[in-house]
Amino acid sequence: MKGFSRLVYPYVVWMVIMIVIPMLMIVLYAFTTKGNDVLTFQFTLNNFIRFFKDSIFPNVLYRSLVLAIITTVICIMFGYPAAYFISKLNINKQNMIILLITLPMWINMLVRTYAWRGILNGLPLSGEVKVYIGMVYNFLPFMILQIYTSLSKMDQSLITAASDLGANKWQTFYKVVLPLSLPGVISGITLVFLPAVSSFFIPKLLGGGDYVLIGNLIENYFVSTGDWNFGSAISLIMAIIILISMYITKKLDRDNREVTVK
Amino acid sequence: MKKLIQFKNIVKAFDNQIVLKGINLDIYENEFVTLLGPSGCGKTTLLRILGGFLEADEGTVIIDGKDISNIPAYKRDINTVFQKYALFPHLNVYDNIAFGLKIKKQSNDIIEQKVNRMLSLVGLEGFGKRDVTLLSGGQQQRVAIARALVNEPNVLLLDEPLGALDLKLRKEMQIELKRIQQEVGITFIFVTHDQEEALTMSDKIVVMKDGEIQQIGTPTEIYNEPINEYVAKFIGESNIIDAIMKEDYLVNFDDHDYKCVDFGFKKNELVDVVIRPEDIDIVPRNKGIINGEVKSVLFKGVHYEIVVETASGTSKTVTMHVLGNKDVVNENAKEKISASNFYMDLEDVKTLSDSEVIARANAQAWTFDDEDVSLTNVEYDVLEKTGVYPCTFKTSKGTQITVNITVVEPIYTEDKINEEAVQAFDFYKTVDEIKESIALDTDLKRWANATAWSLEDESPVEIWDVKYDFDDEDIKEGDYKITFSTMGRELKIHTTEYKEEGQKVGLSFSPEDIHVMSKLGSY
Amino acid sequence: MKKSNQLFSKFYLTIILLFFYLPIIYVVLFSFNDSKSLSNFTGFSLEWYHKMFNDRTIMEAIYYTVIIAVLATIISTVVGTITAIGLSKSNKLLKESINQINNLPMLNPDIVTAIGFMLFFTSLRIKTGFLTMLLAHIAFCIPYVILSIMPRLRQIDNNLAEAALDLGCTPMQALFKVIIPQIKPGIISGALVAFTMSFDDFVISLFTTGPGINNISIYVYANVKRINPTINALSTILVAVITVVLIIINVVPIIKERKRKENEKFV
Repeated sequence: MKGFSRLVYPYVVWMVIMIVIPMLMIVLYAFTTKGNDVLTFQFTLNNFIRFFKDSIFPNVLYRSLVLAIITTVICIMFGYPAAYFISKLNINKQNMIILLITLPMWINMLVRTYAWRGILNGLPLSGEVKVYIGMVYNFLPFMILQIYTSLSKMDQSLITAASDLGANKWQTFYKVVLPLSLPGVISGITLVFLPAVSSFFIPKLLGGGDYVLIGNLIENYFVSTGDWNFGSAISLIMAIIILISMYITKKLDRDNREVTVK
Repeated sequence: MKKLIQFKNIVKAFDNQIVLKGINLDIYENEFVTLLGPSGCGKTTLLRILGGFLEADEGTVIIDGKDISNIPAYKRDINTVFQKYALFPHLNVYDNIAFGLKIKKQSNDIIEQKVNRMLSLVGLEGFGKRDVTLLSGGQQQRVAIARALVNEPNVLLLDEPLGALDLKLRKEMQIELKRIQQEVGITFIFVTHDQEEALTMSDKIVVMKDGEIQQIGTPTEIYNEPINEYVAKFIGESNIIDAIMKEDYLVNFDDHDYKCVDFGFKKNELVDVVIRPEDIDIVPRNKGIINGEVKSVLFKGVHYEIVVETASGTSKTVTMHVLGNKDVVNENAKEKISASNFYMDLEDVKTLSDSEVIARANAQAWTFDDEDVSLTNVEYDVLEKTGVYPCTFKTSKGTQITVNITVVEPIYTEDKINEEAVQAFDFYKTVDEIKESIALDTDLKRWANATAWSLEDESPVEIWDVKYDFDDEDIKEGDYKITFSTMGRELKIHTTEYKEEGQKVGLSFSPEDIHVMSKLGSY
Repeated sequence: MKKSNQLFSKFYLTIILLFFYLPIIYVVLFSFNDSKSLSNFTGFSLEWYHKMFNDRTIMEAIYYTVIIAVLATIISTVVGTITAIGLSKSNKLLKESINQINNLPMLNPDIVTAIGFMLFFTSLRIKTGFLTMLLAHIAFCIPYVILSIMPRLRQIDNNLAEAALDLGCTPMQALFKVIIPQIKPGIISGALVAFTMSFDDFVISLFTTGPGINNISIYVYANVKRINPTINALSTILVAVITVVLIIINVVPIIKERKRKENEKFV
């Protein structure tokens, strides 16, 4: 059966061509100047210097991060109670509601966001509020599903044990249920925060032309301006920020688990 | 009988750890061979090499005179019954059994005939359409056997196939397997760690340990003439005793000479002696070869397992000073405090800590309402010299008690024959403390700080026996003697006759019942 | 739970579900509007459906979306299955490094993956269009297929493959007769994930497609500036198809299970 390990070789070749090389291309473009030949490159740090020199770009980055963080917080605030209430229903109702929540997720995100555009069209709301509605709408289901999964996997005897040991309902929730459901919250955060940072069609569709986020910036430099080197540099900066925040959440999750074990 | 399989110098290592250290083994036609050993001894690895699932690092496997080392599993005329059966969950009983035949592209009517024959051989007629995942363990087992045997292999390998079954089913399947083997008349190679299973079913047992074969023989040979202590212990319950071979036919242990039938050892060679529990008879005192005292009697269903001590262990006797209750009462603070004097070893002074002092003095304080009060202050000044030192315990409200710590030289008894030493200290206790104890023997060991060790290598030895002659329910103030002892020579005896614990008896066994084994001996 | 709590939880969940379904109700409703207005429902008509079926760009977008999703699903499922089986027998180092690299497109924002593809195709002077879009879809679907098959492979009793060899299967026969039937549920769910990922994809398609080749998402994005109720009609059809498919997916296993149980009664 060891011979089967050879079956991965074709994919390794594919993976290098279709995943590794494109990623390296971004890095290469980010560190070179415009108008390169296939064989001659002019390396430069100017793309990065340009990004941080002009206050516009860091501001957009900052705004994108704030938007993503607030979206995540709102999703936890509304998603946790929803997940908790669902987990308290009988099993058939649980499955039913989870199916109902999943169903809209199968419909094209763009189509759903487009519908919000129509709904919010005549309402006296600022572009920013509309963007938040669109963001929360798109990402809340992920949060609910993650938290629900960790809540429903929880051993019910733990709750019985807590009340056996004298904890009241609120204490049981606070000391047992909440800490044990944190891994679900954390994977929910990764599923909401990461795409929220880079989202670009939700602000474009709902925020009006003036609401620019880092994703829109990247799109502009690739599609309209055609400055791929600078666009690559922005993407690289964003990718690095996301990797760092991923690493931090993973670490938080691990620490949290270690504490729970102790 | 014809040689069917030969293992020649098989060596196998995983991650630099050698699992098989050069195995040489011949297996004959129509044999029921059992590879017996604890987990990790290499028995399953050997089986997997034969099945073709692993390659040996060195050595050759020969079947019917042909080296099969390079033949892949699917071309070998060998089939396997796997540990957890490995039935294909997506196929029903019939299709599982028919699997091998379909692979060989046999015609459907022949497959049907053969599968049905197998179903009746294993007693599962009419089960063909069943879902294998819904069968009981025993039924799955039978399907696995049928699935392997339907291919008419020369050899059937069975990798701990009975391990997952409960005791009753296991016994049934043992008989069943033996019957099937005799009926189909092929070689079965059976891997197990269960010695009883091996003894009941096998024609030949191969005892393995740490990648080496210890002994090969029939069940009777292995049981009656184990080659070394390891085999003797692994096969059935035994009394194994360190002994000296004085000369041919004369062995000495526990300071006595015994006649035996063994010979060919060096003069005064250190050996192991094995005496099976059922070979010893209990006789009246002084009528046997040695005398002893019955230590414990366990009813095992058919027989009693009686443990007789024939030589005593090492012991040390200490004095327990029992005092009246002397709680100090502080009326103002509405608190009580109590603590006891204690003795301690000079060597332990260096490492003495507050918590240790509190524990040894059993110091505690409580309110009139029986709420525990913590001791906030422990004062003592113990020097590294023998003597008596005061020690004071206080609560935050000023309730206090003073006791004496007596530092003494360590005193222990040594026993040169047993090569053991026992140490214990005198101690003080109150009447209540003794009455409140729920595990008195353990508490007495702790209070006296009783320990025992081997004089050879200082390794700890268990304190086996605590003897005293007071009634702990009704103890009065005064001094009491307590004796702590290690285990002496204890012999296990299987008999159908009941004996009382504490009864003094004699033991008898004949020279043929003593089996002398070389210390270094291995196959 | 107390009665009042229960009432509150019901109320809360209803509000959340309403929020999720509001845009869907909206598009369905306004797809039948007889005026161009997106805020006033003036009367019932099928005008926008009629327009939609006569709009070549929309019909082409639907065609490309479906054909790319089907091709990407088939190819990524086959490649993903083969790779997952290989991975389960590979050594730890290879397994770990492939898993890490596979994680990249799943963790990276879509837009980063997308511009990676775009830079890659253009520097190789490959004209972007149908083929590049298909290749990109295959590339981001395979990791999801592998991800949904690996747990199944891990659950398989190691001895099963050995049992197959023991009974005379060549390794290839063991693969098709034993291993693949065992991981079938994983393969199916992998294919399903691949199909929906491809069908719904917008960002990667946007950056890897060429002139004239649109999928539904790109069409919606391009036409969003104008008031265009045909998108509502298109959306309604998508909603209807997906609802039917999901009901089938969720109900068929229940019916099958019931049939199986009935059959067992007769055995």
